[in-house]
Amino acid sequence: MSFQEKNTTVSLSIFTLILFFYLIRIFQMVKGESFTAPNLFRLWGVIAVIAVAGTILLTIFTHIAGGIVHKIKTNEDPQIEDLQDERDQIIDMKGTRVAYTFSSLGVALSMLTFVLGQSPLVMFGLLIFFGILAQVVADGWRLTLYRRGF
Amino acid sequence: MEKGKISNNIRKLRFFQNEMTQQQLAEKVGVTRQTIIAMEQDKYSPSLELAFRIALVFGVPLEEVFSYTLEEHKK
Repeated sequence: MSFQEKNTTVSLSIFTLILFFYLIRIFQMVKGESFTAPNLFRLWGVIAVIAVAGTILLTIFTHIAGGIVHKIKTNEDPQIEDLQDERDQIIDMKGTRVAYTFSSLGVALSMLTFVLGQSPLVMFGLLIFFGILAQVVADGWRLTLYRRGF
Repeated sequence: MEKGKISNNIRKLRFFQNEMTQQQLAEKVGVTRQTIIAMEQDKYSPSLELAFRIALVFGVPLEEVFSYTLEEHKK
């Protein structure tokens, strides 16, 4: 597995967990009638911190663990290929295009909530949801392209 | 438009080049080993520049490394 592929796997894992965490918290808020602006903004802040810190920490941990496993298996010093070549760049761009598509669809659907007479809070909640979902789908698509080829 | 497929002889050429490893070739042309693997398995078609660089490493014309076949002609 290449350096970029590992990074994509880490990102996919983190954002899938964040998506589940977000949905559970939203469900709890709606059920407990605490779906208010301060709670939603706090949740948004927590998610942003988890996404940034979690991705950095898990990426470092993955590469260290991978290096140790490589050393044990082959008795060779691990080589980190941290270069992004043309294939990585194309895969990254294809993933980003999928993310943009999902985000745009999410924004359009979120705006529809206004038409249905919902509060801006619902729109904001949906925007965050589609933002995370776009990242998950994009990373999934990138991994598919790494495995399947194109 | 008819669909085509790009295939290559990289594996064979590596073998005849003193059994050059995928890692060595990757370093010479400036890509990752995974990209060389993907090319050898016909899972990735390189850019024209990378294709020329590979041909240059093996010291052969481009058409000796890569070939283009139309799907219809293959059948």
